[in-house]
Amino acid sequence: MLNLLWILFGSYAAGILLPLCLPRRPEVQSLTAGAPAIMATSAGVVLGILGLTSSEPITGSLASTVPLLAFSIRIDPLAAFFLLTISLAGLAASIYAIGYVQHFDGRASISTLGSLFNGFLCSMTLVVLADNGFFFLLAWELMSLLSYFLVVTEHEKTEVRYAGLFYLIMTHVGTAFIIVAFLIFFQSAESFSFETFRHPKQSLPEGMRTLAFLMAMIGFGTKAGIVPLHVWLPYAHPAAPSHISALMSGVMIKTAIYALIRVYFDFLGGQFPWWWGFAVLFLGATSALLGVMYALMEHDLKRLLAFHSVENIGIILLGIGAGMIFQSYGLKELAALGLLAGLYHTINHAMFKALLFLGAGSLLYATHARNIEEYGGLLRRMPWTGVFFLIGAVSISALPPTNGFVSEWLVFQSLFLSYQLPTVFLKLMLPIAAALLALTGVLALACFAKAFGISFLALPRSAHARHAEEVPAPMRVGMGLLAALCVGLGVAPMVMVPLLDRVVAPLAGISIEGKVLAMDGWALAPVNVEFSSLSTPALSLLLMALALLGWGLAVALGGHPQKRHYKTWGCGINLTPRMEYTGTGFVQPIKRVFSTVYQPTVKIETEFLDESRYFAKRRRFEFHIEPIFEKYLYHPLVSFFTTMADRLKVIQAGSLHLYLTYIFVTLILLLLLAV
Amino acid sequence: MQILPYNGAQLVDLCSALLLLTCFAIVAQRRLSSCVDLFALQSAFLVVTAALVAYLTGNQHLYIAAALTAVIKVIIIPLVLKKVIDRLNVKRELVMYVNVPTGLLICGGLVMLAFFIAQPIIPFGFLLTRDSLAIALGIVLIGFFTMIARQKAVTQLVGFLVLENGLFLAATAATYGMPLIVELGVFFDVLIATLIAGIYTNRLQDAFDNVDTNRLTVLKE
Repeated sequence: MLNLLWILFGSYAAGILLPLCLPRRPEVQSLTAGAPAIMATSAGVVLGILGLTSSEPITGSLASTVPLLAFSIRIDPLAAFFLLTISLAGLAASIYAIGYVQHFDGRASISTLGSLFNGFLCSMTLVVLADNGFFFLLAWELMSLLSYFLVVTEHEKTEVRYAGLFYLIMTHVGTAFIIVAFLIFFQSAESFSFETFRHPKQSLPEGMRTLAFLMAMIGFGTKAGIVPLHVWLPYAHPAAPSHISALMSGVMIKTAIYALIRVYFDFLGGQFPWWWGFAVLFLGATSALLGVMYALMEHDLKRLLAFHSVENIGIILLGIGAGMIFQSYGLKELAALGLLAGLYHTINHAMFKALLFLGAGSLLYATHARNIEEYGGLLRRMPWTGVFFLIGAVSISALPPTNGFVSEWLVFQSLFLSYQLPTVFLKLMLPIAAALLALTGVLALACFAKAFGISFLALPRSAHARHAEEVPAPMRVGMGLLAALCVGLGVAPMVMVPLLDRVVAPLAGISIEGKVLAMDGWALAPVNVEFSSLSTPALSLLLMALALLGWGLAVALGGHPQKRHYKTWGCGINLTPRMEYTGTGFVQPIKRVFSTVYQPTVKIETEFLDESRYFAKRRRFEFHIEPIFEKYLYHPLVSFFTTMADRLKVIQAGSLHLYLTYIFVTLILLLLLAV
Repeated sequence: MQILPYNGAQLVDLCSALLLLTCFAIVAQRRLSSCVDLFALQSAFLVVTAALVAYLTGNQHLYIAAALTAVIKVIIIPLVLKKVIDRLNVKRELVMYVNVPTGLLICGGLVMLAFFIAQPIIPFGFLLTRDSLAIALGIVLIGFFTMIARQKAVTQLVGFLVLENGLFLAATAATYGMPLIVELGVFFDVLIATLIAGIYTNRLQDAFDNVDTNRLTVLKE
């Protein structure tokens, strides 16, 4: 076990150092960064599975000379599960990066990119493995800073620098709250070791516990991207290179979920009032719905995916929030179910979001465009990427037989089981959350119908798309691995559920593996088989059988299929890409329905012919939606701070003599005070 | 000849008073090179004070400190400053924030303030140098005031060095000098600070054709 740890961190160290030392040829550099990362993430996968199955936590520790700091590592099932998630997504991204980074040749330093990539993966691993608060904060800060440097890879662009700065400010504000939360624990534990956080010398008073809850929620919520702290996400994630976006969106925001569970269920011992869980549930529902609604209006593929991350974090929080509510009423089985659903969605989202971002990266690689209005007809030109992206889209839309469906189904079930709660208010609220989740799912489906349809079907809308070619093999392998995992995790939940149960059992205090896996594992049931159950293997078989049946019927009844190559009939005129449904057009109905949320601005300018006002020469259509949170929450805050800074500027006159006078006067006043 | 403790204390006080006097002379002086000369003279008085205290108390390491003061503050630093002044082509302090008579009055006030502040502390002391503490504080304040009241970088530097002399005297007065290693560090710092400030003054001249530090306000955004 310890050997594996050495391999893990040794490989990361090699991946950080080697690219900087070896020759400056792009092929060599991408390999010297990729190979160690592949080795390290493979070791991480093995270590994660071992950690999930072993009965005792794996520990390791290095002493440090800094007081209160110890480089101690502890792999309990919770940490092991997140290690597994990080390593799986990291493995795919590392393989993908070998091909992908080459198109940065000449635009950015591939060696630095590779080195930072390894450092970023390593810091995320450290975050989930750390067993000391101080060490955790160091790793957390390292993760934030390294991801910042990765975001600003293309720093010659203004919008990238803006995104980077925005991200840096938000993440540091978040870290400030996290530090406060940890100091609250430190106060009663008198040490930064997580063991003493769990069992402090004197237990925290009720007020301090609530404060710790709120601070952790704000601090980690900023990283996770819950509404209204999500605003940095749609800027920073798209600005980074795509394999980094995949890691940031798929994995980095999950470290915040890890930390929330660690704090609420581990440090605070799962003892909390019902309104904590309700707050988490409320934030989750809001994030899920608003995330997907803003995603719908996006035409930049990577921004669209970033908004979907907000949505999925919301879904994860719905599961965890439901679990917390059940926990506070002592319904242990249901609490375990909610947590299990949330964690299942965590790994599933990591897989399909990484897959989709890698797919978006492939499109970017092939077309050099990010706006889906410039794609079109790519399925024929890039069939592999198209199929993988479709699998990712099906997963994120929660359609069977993929993994997104299974975990969202479990979240739904845990919300429906709220009828066992004693209070009417919550009996009412949890089904409402379920209804919002249903709405979210539908909108996500609409969004990906748009994203896939506009990008991959019909005719190419630009020269970029016309000249697109399939991406190189390493990129296809990286996406293929994730696509296989998406399907695998969906068809075979009986593999994942026992592992998740080992994570949940110590947190909720009860093992529900036997109850969730009905019929020897061939069906899933939310604790209670009579309530409902689902068998994904059977469902996928059924789907395949239905498809075969349809084909069979068509052959049997419709006679022999004939092949005829001809253009699509267009009432006698030649079809051009200008006739296609645009992404903007696709979402207009939804925009109208939710216009109170979007506050859209629509502008149509028409230029007429000079001869007659009945003939339009040119039409301009402009449409954008109001970024509500930035306008009403962030801009007032920013302008408040800049105004205060302007006022303070008066004393910063820039005169040496004035500054000396300040010091002199202070000195004399202090001396006089001392007398 | 054996000096009585009472007479010894009187001698230390006398030397300290001479140090203070040179401070007033520096404030009253407009010519830059004379300022530097006065600083050298003040440092020489400091050497005498330190040597006297060393002789009276038998603290051998104070002799080393005195010797270092002699080498660095009486010889090297004045030489460096003279060179800077030669190169600058600036001989006099033309515009002052506070003119000489007012400056002298303020300095007198500062010395009274220093005595006012130090008075409650002095009776607790048992060293023969204890009365010098108030004077040392006065020198520190005057040095600081010089930095504020004068515009030329050279004069400000002299002000800084006077301030440092005051601190040295305070250390001698309060504890018969700091440990030798600290003393050595401080000397090194002062020397480096002077060199850096000398270079900085030259750069200032190159950039603004002037060594008025109030020109630095244009660096503000």
